[in-house]
Amino acid sequence: MSERLRRWIGAIVTIALAAVVVVGIAIGDPSEEDRVRSLGDRIKCPVCQGEPILDSPAETARAMMDIVAERVAAGESDEQIIDYFTERYGDGILLDPPVAGRTLLLWVLPFVALAAGVVLILGRRRKHEPEADR
Amino acid sequence: MAAVIAGFGLLGVLVAIGGSLMLIVRGFTAAFRREGWDASVFRVPASAVLGGSLLAMVALEVGLLADDFSIAYIANNSASTTPLLYKLSSAWAALEGSLVLWGLVLGVFVFAVWAVMARSRGMDHLGAAALGVMGIVTLFFFALMATVSNPFEVCTATGGFGCAAESALPWSTVVTPAEGLGPNPLLQNHPLMAIHPPMLYVGYVGLTVPFAFAVGALLVKERGDAWLRRTRSWTRVAWMFLTAGIVLGGLWSYEVLGWGGYWAWDPVENASFAPWLVATAFLHSAAVQLRRGVLQAWNYILVIATFSLTILGTFLTRSGVIQSVHSFTQSPIGPALLWFLMFVMVGSLGLFAMRANLVSSAPRLDSLVSREGMFLINNLLLTVFAFVVVVGTLYPIVVEAITGDTVGVGRPFYDRMAVPLGFALVAAMALGPIVPYRAANLRVVWDRLRLPLQIALGAAALAVVVGQRNGWILVSILLGVLVVALAVHQLWDRAYRAAAKRETSTGSEMLRALRADPPYWGGQVGHIGVAVLVLGIALSSNLSDEGAFTLSPGESARFADHEITYVEPFSREKPNRTEIGAVVEVRRGGDLISTLEPRLNRYPTSTQSIASPAVDTGLRGDLYLSLASINETEVRIETFWFPFIWMVWAGGFLVALGAVYPAVARRSARERREPARV
Repeated sequence: MSERLRRWIGAIVTIALAAVVVVGIAIGDPSEEDRVRSLGDRIKCPVCQGEPILDSPAETARAMMDIVAERVAAGESDEQIIDYFTERYGDGILLDPPVAGRTLLLWVLPFVALAAGVVLILGRRRKHEPEADR
Repeated sequence: MAAVIAGFGLLGVLVAIGGSLMLIVRGFTAAFRREGWDASVFRVPASAVLGGSLLAMVALEVGLLADDFSIAYIANNSASTTPLLYKLSSAWAALEGSLVLWGLVLGVFVFAVWAVMARSRGMDHLGAAALGVMGIVTLFFFALMATVSNPFEVCTATGGFGCAAESALPWSTVVTPAEGLGPNPLLQNHPLMAIHPPMLYVGYVGLTVPFAFAVGALLVKERGDAWLRRTRSWTRVAWMFLTAGIVLGGLWSYEVLGWGGYWAWDPVENASFAPWLVATAFLHSAAVQLRRGVLQAWNYILVIATFSLTILGTFLTRSGVIQSVHSFTQSPIGPALLWFLMFVMVGSLGLFAMRANLVSSAPRLDSLVSREGMFLINNLLLTVFAFVVVVGTLYPIVVEAITGDTVGVGRPFYDRMAVPLGFALVAAMALGPIVPYRAANLRVVWDRLRLPLQIALGAAALAVVVGQRNGWILVSILLGVLVVALAVHQLWDRAYRAAAKRETSTGSEMLRALRADPPYWGGQVGHIGVAVLVLGIALSSNLSDEGAFTLSPGESARFADHEITYVEPFSREKPNRTEIGAVVEVRRGGDLISTLEPRLNRYPTSTQSIASPAVDTGLRGDLYLSLASINETEVRIETFWFPFIWMVWAGGFLVALGAVYPAVARRSARERREPARV
C-alpha cells in the first residue's frame, strides 16, 4: 500500500469518526428527566441556605420539584417554567443570578478578563514582528 | 495550678514571636551586609520559631488529651467523651486552634528553608532576605495568637458545660467547667477530619516559600531566575499537598454531608481552589522561564497573587464575612487579616514596581504557535478561572456592603463558567506537551497528534454507537482519551525511535526517557489525572440516579438495578453520641452484595441529628444511602447511584502524584550516581 493511499485512508477514517461524534452530540436531545434536574439545580429552595431544590430534602423543595416535573411533562419550555417561579417568588428564587441589573457585572467581568488576557498575549507577538525585520 | 498547660502554650507563642523578630532583624541585616556572616546566624531564630510553634501545638494537644477544660478553647471544642482521634483533630477544628497548626507548619517551613540554606557555605543574600520575609509572615500569625485569636485563654466563668467567659491572662482566677461542649458534630463524624486540614495547611503555608524568595530577590536586587530555581521543589511540594487537601475535602464532604455531592462551590472550597489555580499557572509559567527566559515579570505577579489569595482565603473563611458583611467586625481577627492582606499586596506589588528594571525586558516570543504559546494559553485559562472563582465569591459581599441587598451566586454560575473553561484547559493540556518550543512546525504537531486523535475519536464514536448521546460525556471522553493517548503515544514514539537508533529495546528506552525528564513526565502524570477526574465528574454527575423510599421492616424497593431491603432498625449508645439507623441489605441480580447501615447521629450538645450516609463502593459506581428519617414503623431512605465516581478521587490523587514523581525520580537518579555510603 502506497504512503499516499495510507494517508488518504487515515484522513477518511478520522473524518468519519469525527462525524459520528458530532452527529451523536447533535441528535442528543436532553431527556425530560435531564431537564427537570437542570431546572431543579437552578431554583433555590426558599426555606434552606442557598441550596437548590434538586438537592434539598425539605418538603417545600420536594413540592417545587414536583411542579417542575409536571410542567416539563406538560411540554412547557425552560423559560416558561423559570418565569412561573420568578413571578411567584421574585428573581431571588434563582440560584443563577440574572444577566441584568445588579448581577450584570458578575457575568461580564470574566469575559472582560478573558479579552484583556487575549489582547495582552497578542500584543506580545505583534511587537515582535518589526524587530524581526531589522 | 490549673493554668499550667495554658501557660506553656502561651510561652510557645511568645518564643515564636521572639524568634520571628530576630529572624526579621538578622535576615534583613544580613541581606544587605557584604561580609562577616553565614547561615549560622539564623540557627537561633529558626530554632526558636520551630521550637515555639511546636511547644504551642504540643500544649494544645496535651490539654485536649488531658481534658483541661480550664482552657476556654478546649472547653468549647472538646469533651471528655470525645474519641481520641477527634480530640487530636479538635486542635484545628476551630479558629484559634487552626492558627496554632498554621503556625506550626510555618515554623517547620522556616526551619527547613534555613536547614537547606545552611548546607551551602558562604553568604546567601537571597536566602537571608527570604528568611526575613518569612519572619514577617510568622510574626503576623503568632501575633494573632497572642492577641485577637488566643487559643490559650483561660476560662473565667462557666454555666457547667463549656466556657462562658475567658481571659488572656494565665494568672486570672480560673474556673474549670465540669465538662466540655465537644466538637461540632459535623467535625467528629469522619476520620478524614484528622488529615484533610493539615494537608491543606501544608499546601497553603508552603506557598509562602516561593513568595518569600520572590520578594527577597526584589529586595536584594538579584537578577535572573535564582529565586525560581531554588523554590521549584518547595512550590511543587506545597502544590502537591494543596491538591491532595482539596481532593480529601471533597471526599470528606461526600462521606459526611449526606447530599451525595463533593463540591458545592461554597466560599470555603473556593478559598482553597483559587490559590490552587494560580499556583498551577505559576508551576507552568515557571517552567517556561527556566527553560526559555521569558515571562519573568509574569512569574513575580503570579507568585504574589498566589500568596495574596491564600491570605484572602484565610480572611474569607475566618472572619465571618461570608455569612454577612456585618458579622466580620464582631471579631477583630477579620480586620487584622484584611490589613495584613493589604500590606502584603501593596508592599509586594509596590516593591515589584520599584524594581521593574531588574526584570529584563523579556525576549519576545518567536511565535505563538509554540510550547511557549501553549503555556500562555494555559496561564490565561487558569488565571481567568481563578478570577471567576474570586469574583463569584466576593461579588455578594461587595453588593451587600454597597447596597445592603443580598444576591446569591451559586453553583449554576460557577458551573456555567467552569465547564467551558475546564474543557478548554483539558484541550490545551492535551496539545501543549506535543508542541515544540520556539516556533512549531505544524507538520510535526500533526504527526504527533494524528494517531492519538483517531483513538480518542474512536472512543467517543464507540460511546455514540452504544447509545450515549450526552454531549458533556462525549466531549469528556474525547478530550480525556486524547490526553492519555497523546502522553502514552509520545513516550512510546520517542522510545521506539531511540531504540532503533541505539539498538536497544523500546521498553528500556521508555524507562530511560521517563528518567531523563522527570518534570515533564510528572506533568504528564498530572495531566492524565485531570483527564480521569474530568471523565469521573462527567460520568458520575450526568449518569447519576436518585430516589427516595419509605419502607417498613422487611420491605424492599428497586433502585438503579439494585434491590434494597430494609431489615430492621438499630440503636447504639457510643460514649460521645447515640446512633440510630437502619440495617439495609443490597442485592444485585439476586446476590447479596452488601449490608449497609445509614444512620443518624445524635450528640448531647446539639439538637440536630447528623445524617451519616452509608456507601457501597464499586468499580461500576457507588450506591449511596442517606437516612432522612426513622421511627418505630418505617424509615425514609434517600438513595443515590453515582457511576464511576471513584474516578474523581483516583484522578485527583493522580494529579497530586504528578508532583511527587520529579522528586522521587531525582532522588533515585542521585542514588544511582553515588551508591549509598554507610
